[in-house]
Amino acid sequence: MATFVLAFIVGMTYGGIVRKITARVHNRMGPPFYQNFIDAFKLYSKTSAIHHGAMHFLGPAFLMVSSIVSLMIVPVLIPGGDSWYNSWFTNMNASGDLIFLIYIMVFGSLGLALGAGQTGNPNSSIGVTRGLSQMVGFEIPWVMALVALMISYKTTSIVDFINIQQETGTWLMFSHPLAFITAILAMLGMFRYSPFDIVGAPTELASGPVSENGGKFLFTMMSSGSVFAFVKLTLFVDLFMGGAENLVILVVKTFALYMIPVLYGIVSPRYRTEQAVRFFWGWPTFIGLLAILYAVIF
Amino acid sequence: MDMLTLILVIFLGGAIVTWLGNKLNSVLGDLLFLAAVIVPSGLFISGITVGSVTTLNALGLTLTWGLSPLSYLFSLVVVGLAILLAIYSVPFMNGKDKKGAFYFNFTLSIMSMLGILVSKDWISFFIFWEIMTWSSYLMVILNGKEVQKVGIKYFVFSAIGAYAMLMAMVIMNSQLGSFMLADTFNNFQQMSGTYQILIPLLLLVAFGVKSALMPLHVWAPGAYSNAPMAYTSVFSGALSKMGIYGMILVMVTMINQLPEGTLIRDIIAWLGGFTAAAATLWAITQDDGKKLLAWSSVGQMGYIIVGVAIGTPLAMLAALFLVVVHAMFKGSLFMVVGAIEKQTGTTDFREINGLIRKMPWTFISALLSIIALAGIPPLAGFVSKWMLYEALIQNNNYILVILLFFASTAGFLYCYKFLHGYFLGQEEPEWDHVKEAPVGMVIPMLLLALGTFVLGTFPQLLFNPIDNALQYVGYDATGGLLWTDSVLFSQWGNVVTLQPILYAIISVFVFFAIFLFVKGKKGKTRYVSTKDISTSGEIPKEWENLTFKVNFFQPFERAIEPFLKRQIDKYYNAFGNGLEALFEFTRRVYTGNGQTYAIYAILFLALLLLFRVNLFG
Amino acid sequence: MYNDKNSQKIVDIIQNWARKHSIWVLAYGTGCGAIEIAPTMTSRYDAERLGIRGAATPRQADVLLVTGYLTVKTVKRVVRVYEQMQSPKYIIGFGSCTINGGMYYDSYNTINLLDKYIPVDVYINGCMPRPEAVIQGFVKLQQLIAEGKANGAQKYLDNLEWYKANQAKIAPKWIAKAPDYNW
Repeated sequence: MATFVLAFIVGMTYGGIVRKITARVHNRMGPPFYQNFIDAFKLYSKTSAIHHGAMHFLGPAFLMVSSIVSLMIVPVLIPGGDSWYNSWFTNMNASGDLIFLIYIMVFGSLGLALGAGQTGNPNSSIGVTRGLSQMVGFEIPWVMALVALMISYKTTSIVDFINIQQETGTWLMFSHPLAFITAILAMLGMFRYSPFDIVGAPTELASGPVSENGGKFLFTMMSSGSVFAFVKLTLFVDLFMGGAENLVILVVKTFALYMIPVLYGIVSPRYRTEQAVRFFWGWPTFIGLLAILYAVIF
Repeated sequence: MDMLTLILVIFLGGAIVTWLGNKLNSVLGDLLFLAAVIVPSGLFISGITVGSVTTLNALGLTLTWGLSPLSYLFSLVVVGLAILLAIYSVPFMNGKDKKGAFYFNFTLSIMSMLGILVSKDWISFFIFWEIMTWSSYLMVILNGKEVQKVGIKYFVFSAIGAYAMLMAMVIMNSQLGSFMLADTFNNFQQMSGTYQILIPLLLLVAFGVKSALMPLHVWAPGAYSNAPMAYTSVFSGALSKMGIYGMILVMVTMINQLPEGTLIRDIIAWLGGFTAAAATLWAITQDDGKKLLAWSSVGQMGYIIVGVAIGTPLAMLAALFLVVVHAMFKGSLFMVVGAIEKQTGTTDFREINGLIRKMPWTFISALLSIIALAGIPPLAGFVSKWMLYEALIQNNNYILVILLFFASTAGFLYCYKFLHGYFLGQEEPEWDHVKEAPVGMVIPMLLLALGTFVLGTFPQLLFNPIDNALQYVGYDATGGLLWTDSVLFSQWGNVVTLQPILYAIISVFVFFAIFLFVKGKKGKTRYVSTKDISTSGEIPKEWENLTFKVNFFQPFERAIEPFLKRQIDKYYNAFGNGLEALFEFTRRVYTGNGQTYAIYAILFLALLLLFRVNLFG
Repeated sequence: MYNDKNSQKIVDIIQNWARKHSIWVLAYGTGCGAIEIAPTMTSRYDAERLGIRGAATPRQADVLLVTGYLTVKTVKRVVRVYEQMQSPKYIIGFGSCTINGGMYYDSYNTINLLDKYIPVDVYINGCMPRPEAVIQGFVKLQQLIAEGKANGAQKYLDNLEWYKANQAKIAPKWIAKAPDYNW
C-alpha cells in the first residue's frame, strides 16, 4: 500500500516536472510542478454520464491491475537495507521474476485495448493497433538486453541482480555497457514520448485509445500511466544502476534516468508506426546482438 | 475380449451404427453419436490401467496394444476433447446436411487417435495412422467448398509422411526382424550406419507433416479452416499432437543414440522456432477467423517442437504442459468461431461487428482463451511459456529465446485482432438479430476456458502425469526439479509463486471495477450505443460506417513486407508446376497415331537386336 | 456538485480550487478567432502556467472555446459537442461575433447572440481579442468558478426547453432528429 502511494506521488510529480522542463526548453514558464495532481483531482470530480458497456468499466481496471501488480513485484528499495521504512516497501519481491514482469506489463495494454474497443470509436481502435505494432518493435531490443543480463549472471530474479551489484560494487551499467545502451534505446519506445508517441497524440489521432474516456476513466488511466512510468524507472535503476538504499537516492536516480527519454523527446518529431518498428529492428537489435555476444564471451 | 479391444470395437461399431441411425431419424443419430463417443471414453477413463498389454492375433499378424504413461498423458487430451466436442457437435450440426458423415468421421478419428496411442507395434500404429488421415481428409472435404486444392494438398502431404513411415517400418523389420516399438528402439544400434540416420529422418518427416512443422505446414491453414469447426477443435487440439507424440518417441530413443544427434536436434529446434515466428506473422495478416486460428495453431506447435527438440527435462515439461493447455484453449477458440458461424453465418472479420453484448458467454470464453494463448499470467499459457524460456536460457539457446519472445509479442497482435474483429468495435444494425449460442455449445467452451484458469494457478495438477511420462521415456524422476503446490521453480532457484499473485490480481481488479462502477452509479451513468461517440460534432447516421476492420494492421504489415513476399507455398507450387510441365512433355509419347506406335515397336526390336549379347548372354 | 447557492461547503471550495487551476480547453475554432488560440497557448503568452491545456475530444474537456462567428451549420455541431462534454463544463464566447454578431450582424446565415443557443459563462470582446485579453478572460472564468457562479451547465439543464426552442427556430429538421444528449 505504501508503495502505491509512493509510486502515485512520485509518478505524478515527475509528470509535472517534465511539463515544467518542457516549458523551459520552449522558453516559457510552464505549469507548477504539482499540476498533475490538480488535473487528477479535477478529473476525479467530473461526472461520467455515459458508458458503452461493461468492458468500458473493466478496461481501466485491467490497466490498474497491471500497474499495481508489476509495482508489487519490482523491488523498490534494496531488501534488507538499513532505512527505518524499508519493511513498508517489500511487497511481493520474492514472488516473481523478470519474465513474469515482462508479461504482466502487457496485460494492461490488453485491458486498455479492450476498453477502447468497446466504445466503438475508430480512432481508439487505430490507436490500439499502432500501439501494439510499436510494442512488437521495442520488445526485441528490450528482451535482448535482458537476456544478455540473464546469461551473464544465470538468474532471472531482480533481487538477485541488486545483490550482485551490491557485492561486486560496480553497477551493471558499467560492466555491461552494450546491454545498457540497448535497454535505453528500447526504453524510448516504452515511455511513449516523442518520437514514438503516435499512439495517443491528440493532434494525430484524437488521442487514440483514451478518446472516449473522460472523468474517472481518464483519472484511472492517468494515474496508472504515472505509476507505470515509476515502475519502469525503478526496474531500470534496480537492474542497471544498483538499486536504491533509501528513498532519496531512489528519487535522484530515477529522475536522472527519466531525463534521457524526456530530453530526447522534447526536440524530436514523431515517427510513423512502420518507421518506428523498422528503427527498433535496426540499430538497437544490432547492439542487442553485440550485447549478447559480449555476455557469452566474457 | 478385454477392455482395450472392447473400447476400440465400440468406437468402430458406433460409427457405423450412428451413420445408419442418422439415415433413419435425425434425433436417433444424435443420441447414438453421443453414446458412441461418451460410453467408450468413459470406459477408457475408468477401466484402463497404465501398463496393461493386450495381444490380438488377426490375419496372421500379431497386434499388441497397451497404455504407457506417455500415452496416458496424450489420451487425457484426446478423451477430454472428444467428450466435450461430442456435446458441442450436436447443437452445432443441428439442421446441417451431411450430419451422418460428420458423426461417422468424428468417431473414427477419435478411435484412430486412441489406437495410435495404445499401439505397441508398428503395424497397428500405421493402420491407425492411416485411418486417422483419411477420416480427417473426409472431414476437410465435407462441406465441399474449395475442396480440390485444399483437400488434395492435405492428402498428398499426409501420404508423403505415411509412406515415409512405411518405408522406415519395412527397413526396420528387415534389419531387426521385429515390428514391436520397444524392440526397434532398444536394438537401434544394431542397424548399419546409413540406416541409423535414415530411419529417424523418415519418421521425423512423417511426424513433422502431422504437426505442421515448417516447411511441411502448407496444408494446415486450408485444412483447418475448411473442416467444420466442431471437428477443427479436435483436429488442431488432438490430431496434431499425434505428430508430437511420435516425435517424442523418435527423439528420446533414436536420436539420442546417434553421434549426430545434437545436430539434428538443433536443426529441428531452429525449424520449430522459425515456425513459431513465421506462423505468427502470417496469422496477423489474415482476415478470416478460421485462418487466423489455423496459423496460430501452426505457431503454437512450433513452440512445442522447440521444447521437445531441446530435450532437457524442464523443456520437455514445458512442451508437454503446453500440449495439454494448447488443446484446451485452441479447442475453446475453435468452438467460439463455430458458435459465431452458426449464429451469424459468416466468420469474416470485415463483416461481423460488435457481438460483445449479444453473445456475452461466448465473449468470456474467447477472452479467457485469448489471454491463455497470449501467455499472460495468471492463466495457464504463462506457466508453459515461463518454463520454456527458463529451459532455453539454461541450455544456452539465446537466439532461440529471442525468436520465441518475438513470436510471443507478435502474438498479442493477432489476439487483439481476433477479439476486436468479432466482439468489439461498432455495432451495426444488421447484426442486431444475433442471439447467444445454444447452451450445449456454450458449456464446453466455458469449461475449457475455465480449465486454463484453474491450471494457471494450480499447475501441479498436471505435473504428476507429466512426470510419469518423462520417467517412462528415460528421464530421472522429476528431472531434479521440485514442484510443490502452485510455485514454479527452476534450477537457478528463480521462483514464481502463483497463488498470491492470483489473489493480488483479483483483489486489485475487483477493487477498481467497483471503484469505477460505484462512482458512476452516483451520477446516473447510462448506457449509450456505439454510434454516440465524439465524431467532431456530427451525428452519425444509421447507414454510416464507422468500423475499422480492413487493413487492420497496415503499418505493421508494411514494416514486415519483405517477409510477406516470400511464401513456402510458392516453392511447392513451382515444384508442382515443373513436374506438370515434365509430365506434359512425356505425355507426348501417346500420339494416337498408329504409325508412330509401329515405329516404337520397330525401334524397340532394333535395340534388342543391338544389345542381344549383353542382355541374353 | 453545482453550486448555485451563495454558501459553499468546504468540499465545494476544494473542488472549485482544483477546477480553477486545471482547465482543459476544447478549442472549437469556428471562425477567424481561432488564429488567436495558437499564440495564447504557446511560448509568448504561455497559458499553460495557469493550468490551461488543450484537450483532444469533448469527453475530456472542461471549457468549450467558441471562437468567432457561427453559421447555422456550425451551431448545430457546436451544440452537439457541448452536449457531449461531461459536467461540470463552461463556455467562453470569443470575439464580438458571439456577443452581437460582430462584423456579420446582418448576414443571412450567422447567428447574433450565442447565449440564446447554449449558455455562455464568459464573453471576451474584441475582433480579434489579443492574447492578453484571452488570458484575462480565463482569469475571469477562474474567478467565477471560485465563487461558484460558473454554472452554465445547470442553467442549460434547467431551461432546456427554451434553449431547444431557440435552436429549433434556426435548425428545425436537425432538432427533430437529434439524439438524446448525454451529460
